[in-house]
Amino acid sequence: MFRNTIKSFTSNIIRPSLITRQLPLRTVQRCSGPVFVRSYAGFPSLTRDLAKERIIELLEGYDKVSTKNGITEDSSFINDLGLDSLDVVEVVMELEHEFNIQIPDNEADGLKTVGQTIDYILSQPDAC
Amino acid sequence: MVQQKQVLKLYKNLLEKAYKFDNYNFREYAKRRIHDSFKEHKSLTKPEEIAQFYNNGINNLALLTRQSTISQMYTFDKLVVEPLKQHK
Amino acid sequence: MYKSNIIVRNLHRISNNTSIKHNLSRSLATIPSTIPSTNTNSSTSSSTSSSTSTKDKISQKDSTSSGNINVVVPPSGASITLKSATRDASKFGTRPIYLDVQATTPVDPRVLDKMLQFYTGLYGNPHSSTHAYGWETDKEVEIAREYVSKVINADPKEIIFTSGATESNNMIIKGIPRFYKKTKKHIITTQTEHKCVLDSARHMQDEGFEVTYLPVNEEGLINLQDLKNSIRKDTILVSIMAVNNEIGVIQPLKEIGKICRENKVFFHTDAAQAYGKIPIDVNEMNIDALSISSHKIYGPKGLGACYIRRRPRVRLDPIITGGGQERGLRSGTLAAPLIAGFGEAARLMMLESNYDKNYIEKLSNKLKNGLLSIPSTQFNGSKNPNYQYPGCVNISFAYIEGESLLMALKDIALSSGSACTSASLEPSYVLHALGADDALAHSSIRFGIGRFTTEEEVDYVIAAINERVEFLRKMSPLWEMVQEGIDLNSIEWSGH
Repeated sequence: MFRNTIKSFTSNIIRPSLITRQLPLRTVQRCSGPVFVRSYAGFPSLTRDLAKERIIELLEGYDKVSTKNGITEDSSFINDLGLDSLDVVEVVMELEHEFNIQIPDNEADGLKTVGQTIDYILSQPDAC
Repeated sequence: MVQQKQVLKLYKNLLEKAYKFDNYNFREYAKRRIHDSFKEHKSLTKPEEIAQFYNNGINNLALLTRQSTISQMYTFDKLVVEPLKQHK
Repeated sequence: MYKSNIIVRNLHRISNNTSIKHNLSRSLATIPSTIPSTNTNSSTSSSTSSSTSTKDKISQKDSTSSGNINVVVPPSGASITLKSATRDASKFGTRPIYLDVQATTPVDPRVLDKMLQFYTGLYGNPHSSTHAYGWETDKEVEIAREYVSKVINADPKEIIFTSGATESNNMIIKGIPRFYKKTKKHIITTQTEHKCVLDSARHMQDEGFEVTYLPVNEEGLINLQDLKNSIRKDTILVSIMAVNNEIGVIQPLKEIGKICRENKVFFHTDAAQAYGKIPIDVNEMNIDALSISSHKIYGPKGLGACYIRRRPRVRLDPIITGGGQERGLRSGTLAAPLIAGFGEAARLMMLESNYDKNYIEKLSNKLKNGLLSIPSTQFNGSKNPNYQYPGCVNISFAYIEGESLLMALKDIALSSGSACTSASLEPSYVLHALGADDALAHSSIRFGIGRFTTEEEVDYVIAAINERVEFLRKMSPLWEMVQEGIDLNSIEWSGH
């Protein structure tokens, strides 16, 4: 007798996470008056120039970087900017903090120039 | 035989844990000390020395994990030199 | 080292730039510029009609943050007001930065890690010799004792754990003379000692001993000839602190030890501030007794130790008697967690001594250069780097009232004088002994730099002190007179 109620009870418990996510849409649909469009407050979308600017500023803030040639998309961390492997690890960490992403180790090994880093970050959907 | 990859992974892990300290002074000290001690021992060549330094690092990583977790359990206000928001 | 935040980078630009005023007004531009109608201060309204100089903008903007409170209008020519002297509270935190390392130090996380074992599982009494709980705790205590003794190159059996440096000082200054009271009647100490030493010596005076207080020169160092002359046939103890807690001056321990050994007098030094920070070797310096404090070396509070030489044996009357622990000199159950923490702190001091020394020296030079560039400031201490501990910087700011300067520095944790005497209204007796007059002694501030102080904090302090000293001086009539060239000593103050 109680099997059905327990089943519906447990299924209700499993659902709430789904329900809360869909909630904003549902309340908007039920309104009969003027429709208020609600959007999530988010960060501005990341363009290539914006990402490049932020990365360059980040590298310039690092006092070990020798900027005698200027930082371009082709500057390699180790050869052009004079960083060693420990510094590269730190730079990658700072990039993770700046753009709110996690860079796994195998990907981080492939980031050798500024241009490659920009490409990688832009390819991450949740970078901001 | 300790590889360069392992050492770099250890460095990254240590720095990640150091960032988690809630206390400003401990956080900055940990970051600075890890950075300076790895730089100082950058040019070690003998495998026993490297292995000893690496084991030291592993022990310190365990210590850092414990202590940074504890520091997040007891939090205090931020200091006047700490910016409150990360992003602009 | 990398700084990841742009706001932090701006701070560096502010502190490195010589024209601090200009940058400060830029950073205050975030304060909203609406003026409340309830502001009753007439001088603010007059300032709105004057030309739009940055100073007036700041006083306008400042009046908004205080709401209905009467705003102190800054004197003309000042670049800041007191309210805006602290940074915008919505952008930065509010907790003060800690620069009072001579008062106490934070517990190093590695020390805490070691101590937590004792508060969770290793809870046995180290003196229970019948079971494993006692044995394992005893083993840890002995390991800690070994670490503590290595810092001063002593034998572990010569270390006695007490409840702090005050207890160690009491134990030695009262205990040694009392043991030899039949034949010896004289104690020598200095005028700049810590309160507990001076008080214990005064106590011994009540018991019938004679005490000589050696004077110090204007750098804080004793004269060795004075010491030689004061030693008599019946002198039993010379007690001179290694590093002064208020001015950071290092006494010539090796020479003093030599003089005392030649005259067969016991040499005690209060090394609470010196332990681990300057190299101390009890055999080379002929030290017979030494006091150590745990909470000055990033260890736990509530613990200290004293070193009592065994060869040749130093005898003393114990103050705390009981079960005969610690060679019978200090009975009582040992606080194993605190001792383990203390041992770990001592081990870290030895491990990090070079690194810390270079780092503290670098920051201390930066701080000194930044602060002594303000006119009419004076550094209290020794100019000779061999006799000055860099982590303690004591500076007097003339023509400013000390209390008001401390009030203006509420976002930096500092002290003027020592923590023990900060409750009383008297100026520091140490600065008096150096020859400073009352006014200068009142306006001295002690800055402490330790292992955990960052360069950013030092930059902040330099910028803050520059601003506020300028502000307070503009308000001071004495400063005005000095600027006009009047010699203050030549003024006849009319007494009513």
